[in-house]
Amino acid sequence: MDAIRITNLMKKYGTVLAVENLSLRVPKGIMFGFLGPNGSGKSTTIGCLTGLLDPTAGEVEILGERFTADSAAMKRRMGVMPETLGLFDPLYAHEFLAFVGRMFGLDEAVTRKRVTELLDALELTDRSKTLGDYSTGMRKRVAFAAAVIHSPEVLFLDEPFESIDPAGVALMKQWLRRFTEQGRTVFITSHVLETVERLCEEVAIITKPGRLVWQGDITVMARDGVIHHDGQDFQALEPLFLHLTGQRYADLNWL
Amino acid sequence: MDTKLIGELIKLRYKLMWARTRTRNGKIALFFVGYLLLVFFLVIFSLGGIGAGIMAVRSGKAHTLAAGVLGGLYFQALLATVLMGFGISAVFADVELRRYPLRALDRQIARHFLGLADPFWFLVAALDVGLAIGLYALGPGSIWLGLVAVLLLLISNYAMAEVVALAVERLVARKGGSAILLMGIMCLGILPAAAGSLNKTHPELLKPVLRILHYTPPYGAASAMLRPGVEALDGLGVIVAWLVGLLAILAALERHPPQARVAQSGALTWEGPWERFGALFGPADAPLVAQWLRFYSRNNRFRTAYPLALPLVAFLAITQAQVAGPKGQFANLLGCFALTGFIGTAQFAVNQFGYMGGGFRRYFLLPTDPAALLRTGSYTFLMLSAAVIPLATIAVALLSPIHLDGRMLAMMVGAAVTALFLMHGLALWATLWGPRRGNYKASFGNDLSLLGNVVFIGGLLTLIFAPRVLAKFWAVAVSPESWWAAVAMAPIAAIFYFVSLRNAAVVFRSRREQILAVIEGRA
Repeated sequence: MDAIRITNLMKKYGTVLAVENLSLRVPKGIMFGFLGPNGSGKSTTIGCLTGLLDPTAGEVEILGERFTADSAAMKRRMGVMPETLGLFDPLYAHEFLAFVGRMFGLDEAVTRKRVTELLDALELTDRSKTLGDYSTGMRKRVAFAAAVIHSPEVLFLDEPFESIDPAGVALMKQWLRRFTEQGRTVFITSHVLETVERLCEEVAIITKPGRLVWQGDITVMARDGVIHHDGQDFQALEPLFLHLTGQRYADLNWL
Repeated sequence: MDTKLIGELIKLRYKLMWARTRTRNGKIALFFVGYLLLVFFLVIFSLGGIGAGIMAVRSGKAHTLAAGVLGGLYFQALLATVLMGFGISAVFADVELRRYPLRALDRQIARHFLGLADPFWFLVAALDVGLAIGLYALGPGSIWLGLVAVLLLLISNYAMAEVVALAVERLVARKGGSAILLMGIMCLGILPAAAGSLNKTHPELLKPVLRILHYTPPYGAASAMLRPGVEALDGLGVIVAWLVGLLAILAALERHPPQARVAQSGALTWEGPWERFGALFGPADAPLVAQWLRFYSRNNRFRTAYPLALPLVAFLAITQAQVAGPKGQFANLLGCFALTGFIGTAQFAVNQFGYMGGGFRRYFLLPTDPAALLRTGSYTFLMLSAAVIPLATIAVALLSPIHLDGRMLAMMVGAAVTALFLMHGLALWATLWGPRRGNYKASFGNDLSLLGNVVFIGGLLTLIFAPRVLAKFWAVAVSPESWWAAVAMAPIAAIFYFVSLRNAAVVFRSRREQILAVIEGRA
């Protein structure tokens, strides 16, 4: 069974097409990278997959069940770290995490235990600051903790590693690997291609407007192998990404 | 001073305003706002300003009346800016301006110039200018000195509003500050009645106070508008002295930003009063109600507005009693009392999600129906407003200046409960159709959309004046014999509220994305 199945997904904002006929299958129990240039529709796609946005057309299935914005039972099985983090600035980290835990139906004792453990593990021990006073990296850690507190089966992470220090990234990567070893699925977007290359088993690349241009297994790259595409060999994700998205470096002579 | 860059910032402010009108709703809102402003401007300018000026000269007490009108306007503008947030929106915060190559003084000038360019001050200026012209037409004063006085008075009014708003903001941020503010407002509410009775018993005590008033900006402006020669210049001197003092205080307050209060450290607290209160709503809604309460209990704007509900109603009841006359006393009390059902939470209820910022997105990721969010938010504001009604009932029963029998009290409570349900029902629609991104950290400022303002300000004005209008044209409707009508209206209003809640939930589901875009600043 696929963890995520997207069929002919389309999303329009008024007359602007953000995602066009996107179809994708994400197998269960892997770390899946979802890549694309800025404005290509990654966050819109994640929005449709997590219930933030209603697709204009198409279907989304999560863990074999049809998913819509009102699928409350399915949301209990999903964890989401949105790009904008979705934090309440006047709250303290433990208050926010306890609120999220309670909303996901954890009982009080489990909520308190997990919040305490997450705060310690993510080194969020400065209890005199509200979330609004935290640094960007600390806010990311809190958003990550909120995504995993209920031990979800599918985890959506939108740009999870930006602004987090190397130690924090290493810790998160270790957790995510353990997460997938238990048969759970991680759907990740990132612009840090080296990280995706080392972390993900499979990758999908989209271009504007949300059009899939490539999907495949990239584990071969981690073993110093190459990926053949369009008659070319790619040893790393970056040249493949640039080739597929048609992006190039502009020559700014004055810079 | 970098006038070119300041000019660019001012242009940017208007470009941003224009950008908001690109949508169909924005154009309709702009048309209405523009039309209303023009009508207000003309009415205030001709009737309020010129009319008052001519009447003042003809009465033979031109100076006293002009000073009274200018003083009243000065005070009303101050109240409107501090309580309603009109006219002090600087648009760009200092932090935002720091990215441009501007000196500190340039940034300060740019911010305050933009604040002064708020349409609210144009309306204040309309009355002032109209008055100067009216006084000039029949009086001995100089029009040029009068216009200079208007300009200086306006700037001093703005500076005073900024100083008071900053001072109150700092006061509220301190521990016990809300209580001090509460006492201050109560004293202010009692002041007119106390001054009136003191004037009757000991008129000689008020004379020194009145002499001090001669050295206030409105009095100075009246002198500049009416008196010739040196006396006019003296009047201008008074305003300039105040202006310099206020600007110095403003600069000092802005130079020393308030220290953030550290509310907690050390041990984690898991369950507070909010969780216990939320538990009353059942296990499904309990965390959401607790979350709403916690979120707003830390909001300076809420901590200022909610405790002020009762003193503000008392203040309005006392000041409006003088206007209502002896026959309109009960109608005035009835209208003001009805406010208790809405005034404390009004500006939040009409824009429930406006202060959530990025957190609003989180609610849609939670395994709950979005309608629960709307419902629990509305319940929270409804409960908070409802809590004011019993306190107000006890206060009015003990302190009312007019005798109230049981029927009158029942009528007042009925009116307040009707207002509670009716206005919170309307507020739901304003939340859905007129959301606006607000500044959570600000204690003051009007962050509401046009629709939000219509429900908020229009609702409050209707509640105050409707009983007085009824008393004039259909007296029996607000007489104690009709007490049952006010009581009977409460369940009808409750039905309206619950029907609104049910239908609003459907609309919320369909408008979710648009509201999200507004709250996150993308629309």
